[in-house]
Amino acid sequence: MGILEETDRSGDARPLPLAGLRVCDFTWIVAGPQATRILADLGADVVKVENESYIDSMRLGLQRPDEPMSLNGSGFHSNFNRNKRGITANLHHPSGREVVERLVTQSDVVIENFSAGAFERMGFGWERLQELNPQAIYVSLSGFGQVGRDRLNITWGPTAAAVSGATQMSGLPDEDPAGWGYSYLDHTAGYYGAVAVLMALLHRRRTGEAQHIDIAQIETGMVLTAVPVLDYQVNGRKYQRIGNRSEYPSIAPHNTYRCAGDDFEDDRWIAIVVETEEQWGALCDVLGSPDMASDKRFNSNDARKRNEDELDTAITVLTRSQSARDLMHALQARRVPAGLCQRTDDKMEIDEQLSARGFYPSAPHDELGEHRYEGYPVQFSDARWRMVRGAPLLGGDTVEVLTELLGYSEEEVSQMMAELAI
Amino acid sequence: MASQLNTESAGPIEGLRVIEVGDLAEVAGKLLADAGADVIRVEPRQGARSRHIGPYVNDRPDTNHSLRFASANTSKRSVTLDFEREESVSIWSALVARTEVVLDGTGSSTLDDAGIGADHFRTLQPGLIWCSITPFGLNGPWQDWASSDLVQLALGGPMMSTGYDDHSLPPIRSDGEHSIAMSNEYALTALLAALWLRDDNYEDGDHPIGQLIDVSIHEAVSATTEGSFPNWEFLGQRVIRQTGRHAAAERNSPWQYKCTDGDYILLMGGGIPRDAKIFEGLLRWMDEYDLAGDLHDPKYLEVLYTDPNRDVEIRNHVADTIGSFVQSLTAEEVYRRGQALHLPWGIVRRPEQNLDDPHWEDRDFFWRGELPGHEESVRYPGAPYRFSNSPVRMRRRPPLLGEHNHEVYIDELGMAIADLRQYSETEVI
Repeated sequence: MGILEETDRSGDARPLPLAGLRVCDFTWIVAGPQATRILADLGADVVKVENESYIDSMRLGLQRPDEPMSLNGSGFHSNFNRNKRGITANLHHPSGREVVERLVTQSDVVIENFSAGAFERMGFGWERLQELNPQAIYVSLSGFGQVGRDRLNITWGPTAAAVSGATQMSGLPDEDPAGWGYSYLDHTAGYYGAVAVLMALLHRRRTGEAQHIDIAQIETGMVLTAVPVLDYQVNGRKYQRIGNRSEYPSIAPHNTYRCAGDDFEDDRWIAIVVETEEQWGALCDVLGSPDMASDKRFNSNDARKRNEDELDTAITVLTRSQSARDLMHALQARRVPAGLCQRTDDKMEIDEQLSARGFYPSAPHDELGEHRYEGYPVQFSDARWRMVRGAPLLGGDTVEVLTELLGYSEEEVSQMMAELAI
Repeated sequence: MASQLNTESAGPIEGLRVIEVGDLAEVAGKLLADAGADVIRVEPRQGARSRHIGPYVNDRPDTNHSLRFASANTSKRSVTLDFEREESVSIWSALVARTEVVLDGTGSSTLDDAGIGADHFRTLQPGLIWCSITPFGLNGPWQDWASSDLVQLALGGPMMSTGYDDHSLPPIRSDGEHSIAMSNEYALTALLAALWLRDDNYEDGDHPIGQLIDVSIHEAVSATTEGSFPNWEFLGQRVIRQTGRHAAAERNSPWQYKCTDGDYILLMGGGIPRDAKIFEGLLRWMDEYDLAGDLHDPKYLEVLYTDPNRDVEIRNHVADTIGSFVQSLTAEEVYRRGQALHLPWGIVRRPEQNLDDPHWEDRDFFWRGELPGHEESVRYPGAPYRFSNSPVRMRRRPPLLGEHNHEVYIDELGMAIADLRQYSETEVI
């Protein structure tokens, strides 16, 4: 029994859906680790391989300012690599290469998110992987994909968002694009990476056949742009930003409204959406404004849409002095779609729903200690997901994996350590 | 305009039988259908919600001509059924009886309350996988709260990380129904994992393990905010939103600039190259335009690439100089020449501009196919993954409303023609 099973304190007898599957994980930064995080949460044995040339650089991300810099000191890294095991293997040493080759023969999935062609140059292209293990599914995740004239282009999440159209589709019409305030396509590419692995496993079960999956991160963003891409082709319309308003369907109010500030900053906002006249009446009621309810400029959706600037101003006058959270509860009590623009501290310390659903389970990490982690956003009736342990220390599970899984003796492991092969 | 099922090559989940109902699961349904599953979308007689949302072909509203519907319903079949009618129960039961997966996007417990939901069918069909996607999950104090995409991106956190340096401007919701995408992508991981578990067990000779999968959109969005979570949990810091770049605990210099052609360029991380060699290449390029400023001073190389403290003022000066340089060129030149220097810079494209990029042609990314209401074929954005041996592709164009009533109800469920006619006349189907 490995360390993850020993550490699992859930006491929940329901099965982990992917227990028994093994993933040889060469991913780093965010997109690839996001994919294997899902597989690990669902019970797969994800063995993350690092080496001197390829230490996951996110190990240095968001270090604690009051502590010395540490390769195991990043909560950012821990969140994306929890529930995985970690080994080191030096690919420039023959024994280190053999460790990886043995791991490949024991794996159902091999996944990496290096630049296109890099894994092949490291000696592990699709042909070599098939020689080692014809049953292994191989996933390559890169910015532009493994084929195509621009495959060697360099991307990070924001680069991919820019090229895909996702950045342009975010922001106010008269301002610059706002883009996304984080690497959204690292999440998205990771989600699709996990989906692709699972589809390929089901295909393998049915046909006995493994395959190579090529994911281009930019394409994972482009699939989310279908409406404007079709609109341009059939109506000749170029994409224009709409801020927080809604053109399709054409409804108003549909925006964020400034509320009273809080101890942190004067920067509190509530999202309000009105889809029916009943909701409009309820909104006016809750905001305590019979004048607005009877105002001819706002007495139908068409009228509100025609006078949307004035409408949004009139609503803001009423929300500006109110607590966004109290207003949200009051509007929801009247069935009006409304939500506070929550910060992470709101979600983690106050949000009653996330709390009731146990969305931030706690788990240990050998250096960071006990911390909460983001959950997997699903509950199963007859299975479970797990939050057992934060990210592995660099090489923290090398001895366990090599001796228990890959058939090395303790003496061999010591020898390889002495030779810096692992 | 008959829809032909292309049976040239099998997809990775070829033949999986899926019923989709409601409006919150259509992206998951599409991804399954494009991958080879037989997805039957059960729509009310007036049609799914997205059929009533534009834009429309030629801007003329028509149930069958919504681009919103087309974007998320390729490869599916469509039948109609009015759940308000008592006669629908036996028809619905026959549909569920033939399926392996129910994708329940009704967003509520409506079906269960009527006795025709997961509880009922999971007793009858032990291996059935019922995947429910709801705004807040099937339990908890907010389970019945009213929702929308805007409300979800507010509550889940993406908006407070996205917007402008100027905080008199609001947090921004990115356009494109991303709360549906995030939750549907997570739903697929859960659903496919449940299928794996079901068959894993079945091979051992036991009963197949069925599953009720409870996907919360609020949780899926909440899990999709990258840096704001560890900033709070591990460092106790809140992040603040900034124009066109990552939210951060402290303000930093711009990443995005408007170029001479009016297009924008994204300089990842502010544009400073990751090593000295690339920096020198960038300086040579800047020299062509005599815009390198004082960056040839050796102190910059030293501070950027050897000084562990990386003096912030000097870095900002370098970033600003690079920013001024790129604003004097076209975005296309900055993008192409930057990439040639291995700089992770991207042109900020409008979605339709990708139709002209030959790289996507090399990858056959766009799928050419029919679009109801439009004479010529169009190009649909394709799949987010390329399988070497089991291609994912558009199997049929988006269905007309109830297009497959005859095929499904009569040919596959064995309903009598006279019964279908009567159900149709009495507005059950």
